[in-house]
Amino acid sequence: MDNNFLVIENISKSFGDNKVLENINLNISKSEFFGLLGSSGSGKTTLLRILGGFEKPDTGRVILDGMDITNLEPFDRPLNYMFQSYALFPHLNVFNNLAFGIKENFTQKEIEINVRNIAELLYIEHLLNRRIKQLSGGEQQRVALGRCLIKKPKLLLLDEPLAALDKKLRSKTQLELTTLQKKLKITFVFVTHDQEEAMSLSDRMAIMKNGLILECSSPEEIYENPKSLYTANFIGIANIIEIYKKDKNFYSDNLGINFKLNKELKNTKTNILLRPEKIKIQSINNLKTSSFNSFSGEILEKSYLGSFTRYEIKINNMIISVLDQNFNSNSNYNFPKGEKVICSWESESIKILED
Amino acid sequence: MKNKLFEKYFVFSPYFWLVLFFFIPLAIIFKISISISEWGMPPYQDIFLFDNGLKINTTFENYVYIFSDFYYIGSFLNSMILALISTIFCLLIGFPLAFYIATSNIRLRNILLVLVVIPFWSSFLLRVYAWKIILQNNGILNVILLNLGITSEPLQLLYNQYAVIMGIVYTYLPLMILPLYGYLNKFDLNLIEASKDLGLNRFKTFFKVILPLSVPGIVAGSLLVFIPVVGEFIIPEMLGGSDRLYYGKILWEEFFVNRNWPGASALAFSGIIILVLPIVIFQILYSRWSQKNEI
Repeated sequence: MDNNFLVIENISKSFGDNKVLENINLNISKSEFFGLLGSSGSGKTTLLRILGGFEKPDTGRVILDGMDITNLEPFDRPLNYMFQSYALFPHLNVFNNLAFGIKENFTQKEIEINVRNIAELLYIEHLLNRRIKQLSGGEQQRVALGRCLIKKPKLLLLDEPLAALDKKLRSKTQLELTTLQKKLKITFVFVTHDQEEAMSLSDRMAIMKNGLILECSSPEEIYENPKSLYTANFIGIANIIEIYKKDKNFYSDNLGINFKLNKELKNTKTNILLRPEKIKIQSINNLKTSSFNSFSGEILEKSYLGSFTRYEIKINNMIISVLDQNFNSNSNYNFPKGEKVICSWESESIKILED
Repeated sequence: MKNKLFEKYFVFSPYFWLVLFFFIPLAIIFKISISISEWGMPPYQDIFLFDNGLKINTTFENYVYIFSDFYYIGSFLNSMILALISTIFCLLIGFPLAFYIATSNIRLRNILLVLVVIPFWSSFLLRVYAWKIILQNNGILNVILLNLGITSEPLQLLYNQYAVIMGIVYTYLPLMILPLYGYLNKFDLNLIEASKDLGLNRFKTFFKVILPLSVPGIVAGSLLVFIPVVGEFIIPEMLGGSDRLYYGKILWEEFFVNRNWPGASALAFSGIIILVLPIVIFQILYSRWSQKNEI
């Protein structure tokens, strides 16, 4: 795959004394669905706006399909931007909103055909004569998407594409958006603060914090093998345990147990990550505690989530989260509060956070 | 119960105001305009005479008189043209200013708004008089132009229609800027970016997005300037010359110089009808249009 379709090179940007982006480098492939994930103030929207041409970077270049677009005006860029607020024109109806970007270069008949096609693609044919204010949030989102896609952009930028939708509609739209992107093979770059949204939409995603890209990889890789403490905490639920080398093994003071690691450590002291669903939970009567990769603790809190039950288990002076899949349909299956249990895990499940 | 009564009174107070200070005076003007003039105080006859029963003593001569003499119609047209030109200038200057104010950051915005309003804090007459001092033959502007060698003799800047237009634009500009600012302030700047993103340059974005969405502000500001300028008396009187006669001046002369109250009232009443009727019709059509277009 051509990895140089969109190249972001040494991009930095400050607003006054406030450094918003620091030396950002990213390569995005053609037809990739790429997510920029970060909390507010991480610089993700500024980066997207630089790609759209609404902000000029202080340093660096943006190259799209071999063309340097860094200094091009938004109206000269072969890309489109979908705004979080959708920015639909309130004085125009749906048809004219969709046709807005192609009125210049097309005949009336071509416009008609193009609008019909895009409306059909997005299931909004019945809305063409409506005013923007008469549309629901989901319908507005489709019109905003259609208004961009009708221009057949090389790159589509989406600012929080699903943030304005309610939860049920969001998951439905998520699926539609991925299907649509795979069908049209247009490169999508989107910004979100919602980790679930980033994981479900992205082929690859970048985690941003304070104007830096901490990590850039597939959602699976970032979830399973995060490289930094921040990422591990930011994506999903994380049990972070500090361990240090003691004789030949690793020991956690907080848990009071030994860890067996598959890998050698560079440092004598480090943090490890143990995802809550990797921990197996068993009744204390069934098993004897081993001194490695398991501990016994007391259930402090439990919340039943349907397919899973989440337990907070206290051991020594630490609380560990455990997600236990509800295999049995018997409702008595769950462990009650206060029960002593044994937790154990495979040693491959332990991820070392080196920095 | 007491509150309800207060609410009712409160809601109707603008109408009460309108009746007391607009419709009643208008009715009095109309009454005078159809009476017969005579020497005396007041300089017209009563419209009801009790002479062996009730006799109605009215005439439409005054209307026939002002509409048959181009002196009156011409001065009204002059005022309309003056108002139109001034409104266009106010719009051309006021729109960019209002847009700039509405899109600047909050601190700068407040400073600029105060600067727009500051002239209202001083006397209107004083400000117009100041322009007289600036523009007169040995005034500041001419002295500067002479010393810079741009002209060899003082320019006649005062006492012509250009001085009048300048004075009016200067005086009425805030009345254009403030309502425009009110609308542009609510303008979603993302719409401008969206338009550019969809391939329209600045020029086309202005005409396809900014202008259509500013229509309510433009209408409000233009009416606020146009209507009072038609009747404007002081600025043409102080800065204007004898090259053009304006409606306000003619009215003044009819009332106070010729003491032709019925004629002046006919002139005033006709002016109001000619001016207000189209505006009322326009407002009705416009509010229907804007409701349909949801602006």
